[in-house]
Amino acid sequence: MLRKKEIPGFKGGFNLLDTYPLRFFNIIEKVSSDTTPGIFEFPPATQKIEHVVVNLCPTEPWALPNWAIFGHRVNVFFNKLKEIRDRFFPAVQYCIALNNKDIETIAAARNFAGSEERVRVFPLDAKYPQDDSVVLSKVVLGVDINFGQEAMSRGIFIMDAQTVSAIYDSCISGNKVDSRFIAVSGTGLKENELVQVQLGTPVEKVLSDRVIEGGKYRVFLNGPLRGKEITDLSYRVNWTINNIVVLREQDYKVMFPLFKSEELMFTTNVHGEVRRCVYCNFCDNICPVDLEPALYYHSYQRGERHKARLYNLERCIECGLCSFVCPSKLELLKIIRECK
Amino acid sequence: MQIKKFLKPIEPIFNKGLDRVGSIIHAHKKVNFLFGALFGAFDGLLRSPKETAQSPPFIRNNYDVKRFMGAVLVALVIGWVLPAIYFYGWQCVISKLLVSFIIGVFVVDVLWAIIAREDHISEGGFVSCLLVPAILPPQSPLWLVGLGAAAAILFRNILGGVGYNLVNPALFSRLFLTVCFPALLVTGYQTPFTGMPDLHTFRYGLDAVTHATPLTAFKTNGEVASYLSLLFGTASGSLGETCRLALILTGLWLIKIKVVNWRLPVSYLGSVFAISVFFSLTMGKAVAPPIFQILSGGLILGAFFMATDPITTTYSQKAKWIYGAGCGFITVLLRDFTTLSEGAMYAILLMNLVAVPIQSLIVRTRYRR
Repeated sequence: MLRKKEIPGFKGGFNLLDTYPLRFFNIIEKVSSDTTPGIFEFPPATQKIEHVVVNLCPTEPWALPNWAIFGHRVNVFFNKLKEIRDRFFPAVQYCIALNNKDIETIAAARNFAGSEERVRVFPLDAKYPQDDSVVLSKVVLGVDINFGQEAMSRGIFIMDAQTVSAIYDSCISGNKVDSRFIAVSGTGLKENELVQVQLGTPVEKVLSDRVIEGGKYRVFLNGPLRGKEITDLSYRVNWTINNIVVLREQDYKVMFPLFKSEELMFTTNVHGEVRRCVYCNFCDNICPVDLEPALYYHSYQRGERHKARLYNLERCIECGLCSFVCPSKLELLKIIRECK
Repeated sequence: MQIKKFLKPIEPIFNKGLDRVGSIIHAHKKVNFLFGALFGAFDGLLRSPKETAQSPPFIRNNYDVKRFMGAVLVALVIGWVLPAIYFYGWQCVISKLLVSFIIGVFVVDVLWAIIAREDHISEGGFVSCLLVPAILPPQSPLWLVGLGAAAAILFRNILGGVGYNLVNPALFSRLFLTVCFPALLVTGYQTPFTGMPDLHTFRYGLDAVTHATPLTAFKTNGEVASYLSLLFGTASGSLGETCRLALILTGLWLIKIKVVNWRLPVSYLGSVFAISVFFSLTMGKAVAPPIFQILSGGLILGAFFMATDPITTTYSQKAKWIYGAGCGFITVLLRDFTTLSEGAMYAILLMNLVAVPIQSLIVRTRYRR
């Protein structure tokens, strides 16, 4: 088999960007919290940092796109990055992970790297979960970190575009950063928008006037695949929230679903009945860390949870792709979490 | 788009009707006991389910087992039903399909669902019942097809239904029929019709003219059929295995949409080719030549549609290579060195059983500490 050697990557994964083509319109407004907003603070390094990974490769369509931060001035962004490097991390390795289709940014990044050996640019396939910290540090640095382990404890500092910009504003320009961009999208909304939100604003306020009237919806923070569902909408936005996805709750039957795949696609519906495992190999083909999720299912079915742990279960990064792709609609991620 | 427009006005009527029937069925305990599963299956074909994801991930792919099985059904219809209608006449093919479906799915499977209180009827039954007539001779009587379909579904259900069947149900039923009615399974290989069909031949084919299958002919007098006739299906054989070209094309389509794992046909056909090349070089004309081996008998049908049945193969991808190579090895051994003319069925059935130890062996070596 011929393999493209020039693009580093991992086996498996799934291209969500093509499957769910979400478009954000450039409507950016500031939602203010009613209380005193939280302030972004650059965490003081507790560990000696050896590598800085700048993750400019969002792989989820509902994640905050880079252009929200860059505007159309990519070079300005890289100048900021340069100042941060000179000020805080003068002697560490720099890795910049980019979407390999984003030619403009790649050119700017290469320009930024120049001839320095400390800065390396990685154009990557933007398939989910490439931006996960475990997969990213494996692909970019060749370092294995365990799921749940802080990348910082291995001397790796991963930051995204928004964090870079915030560090610059708060530590170099000396402004107080009390708001951040949040991508708000989904079938439960009238429009997909990028909203600048003050830290500490309740989710309720962010979503007001944006959700569709009449009809149920569910709210997920940081995406429906990896994120969590919130039912209490008074939850306050903090710095870790990158996006809010609101999905239509498709809890009724629809005639002739084969002709309506577009309508049903981006909803909470499971799109099928629960069946037994048919050993279709979809889950191990898609697994980004080369596990065989069906083995956990069979161990769980037989009541042998301890056995599941023998099959490298600790390497699972809980990306949720196995449950996502399973044609028998088995709750593989739930089973994995219970077995752990 | 046209279909969508056409369906729009009838949707609410159907929807309401199904809801009403569903509520009646679920309201009466005894009715639900008898027809709940049947209604569920029918409803599941027409409407999307209403279940939503309650645990992460909260979005799911819109690919389910129904589409998986549906793709196999489409491939089989194009791969063997349409060519068989041309070669043997529609009366022969359609009647067999009807008998197979009615007895296999609508009688045995439904009765089983009622007796065993299954909550649904599996789509896998359609695939098995579509395969049963394909691997029987064109002139086999209808009761034989019905018995085969019943045996296949019953056997699969006894083992625990789709997901637990140890061996391929269609092949098992063929084995069962071979043991019970050996005479019926070696005769009745009707000569396929070729040329422009008129009304008579389109209905009956070339009735009453039978011919030994190419593999039997080779066994008895060393005659090698032309490769083109094997490829296009003008040589005699079981109902569904003759038109290899259509089977290969649909098999490749299934590989492309990832319903069939490419490792299995590649390793199966590859090992048949390699091993028969070896035997041809060492033993000369006494054994069948490699290309003839691949194109004759049920090998193509078996390699693309039966050995690839995901439930009966190994789960591990590496073990699939061993599985496919084993199938090929046994097939060639049986064809060349036993009195049997065709060995694909026995090879696949045997490897279905061996798949279990191969799988556990591979798992043990992979996760050994």
